[in-house]
Amino acid sequence: MIMAEPLSRKASKPLGEAHAELPPPEPMPETELVKRARGGDLAAYDDLVRRYQERIYATIYHMTSNHEDANDLAQEAFIKAFHALKSFKGGSSFYTWVYRIAVNKTINFLKQRKNKTQMSLDNLDYHVEHDPDFVALISDKTPRREVNLAELQEKLNAAMQRLSEPHRLVVTLHDVQGLSHEEIAEIMDCNIGTVRSRLFYARQQMQAYLSDYLK
Amino acid sequence: MSMYPDPENFDPLRRLLALKRHEQPPPGYFHHFSGQVIARIRAGERAAPDTAWGLLWDAPWLQRLWAALEARPVLAGSVGVACCAALLASVVLFDGNTDRNSAQAVPSQQGMEASLGFSDRSSRGSFFEPAALAVFQLTNSFTSSEGSLFPVQPVNFIKGN
Repeated sequence: MIMAEPLSRKASKPLGEAHAELPPPEPMPETELVKRARGGDLAAYDDLVRRYQERIYATIYHMTSNHEDANDLAQEAFIKAFHALKSFKGGSSFYTWVYRIAVNKTINFLKQRKNKTQMSLDNLDYHVEHDPDFVALISDKTPRREVNLAELQEKLNAAMQRLSEPHRLVVTLHDVQGLSHEEIAEIMDCNIGTVRSRLFYARQQMQAYLSDYLK
Repeated sequence: MSMYPDPENFDPLRRLLALKRHEQPPPGYFHHFSGQVIARIRAGERAAPDTAWGLLWDAPWLQRLWAALEARPVLAGSVGVACCAALLASVVLFDGNTDRNSAQAVPSQQGMEASLGFSDRSSRGSFFEPAALAVFQLTNSFTSSEGSLFPVQPVNFIKGN
């Protein structure tokens, strides 16, 4: 399972692939779950957390490059969202709203943590060695051949940490998690033009930091 | 192939960044995650603040202020100094007010008797001695209805007991 699968791919997962004899139970609509959770139904909220936990964790992890911090912040974001459910008007989807809470919490945390970055990176899954992009990266007859996985991961994360928080967030949401410009604008509460310009600048910065791996 | 990446072509960078999707938390991490969140919510509900101070401490503006102070030690120091100055100023002002109040209260003998509860009028002569006056002022400052700091239980002194 890929942690930060783009939303479009997640949404298009075929439902009919499951067992033929037992049709999977119809998932409860998000609005119904939110309504029940607002009334104090923790089972309904548990369902909501399960739906979005991977994406929320991944966003925070890519922002902090630290598993323990991502774990704490993701839990706190869901707890805060539960207590703030009464103020959720339903103007946006629940997941955009939770994303916004998680992102604000993470940015506040990073502002306090400034200059105390300590990476605690997650392991790469075994799929990476079969990833065509990674295979291409290490099989070219260039200096990149000597790159090992751990070093590449560390350089990539270090380059991400050199970006400012808003730029890192745009790169994380778009290039790592595959969200659209519109979704990012809604989460960051800014217009699409701002998202595009931040993405362009962030990519330029990243390209400069990682030039050795992109020749 | 050029030695330097094309500043407008981000495809190689995007492919490189896509590798971050393979970074995974420890196996089984997400099986327990929602359970931990729900347990923390339940624990929070059990320990929900029922006192006025607890509710005040949970106020978002106070939490934001606290976070801001934690992040900026200089600001926290300045706020601390300001609080101390305010406390000191209020003590000095309060002290000045009680001096004025007690000065006004001294001529009223009926009030003195009521406050101290002297039942024997023969003791009145010694009451105006400086030591007794100081005791009266202290008592009066505690029990005056407007400037009362502490609840004081009046005591009757009955001669012969």
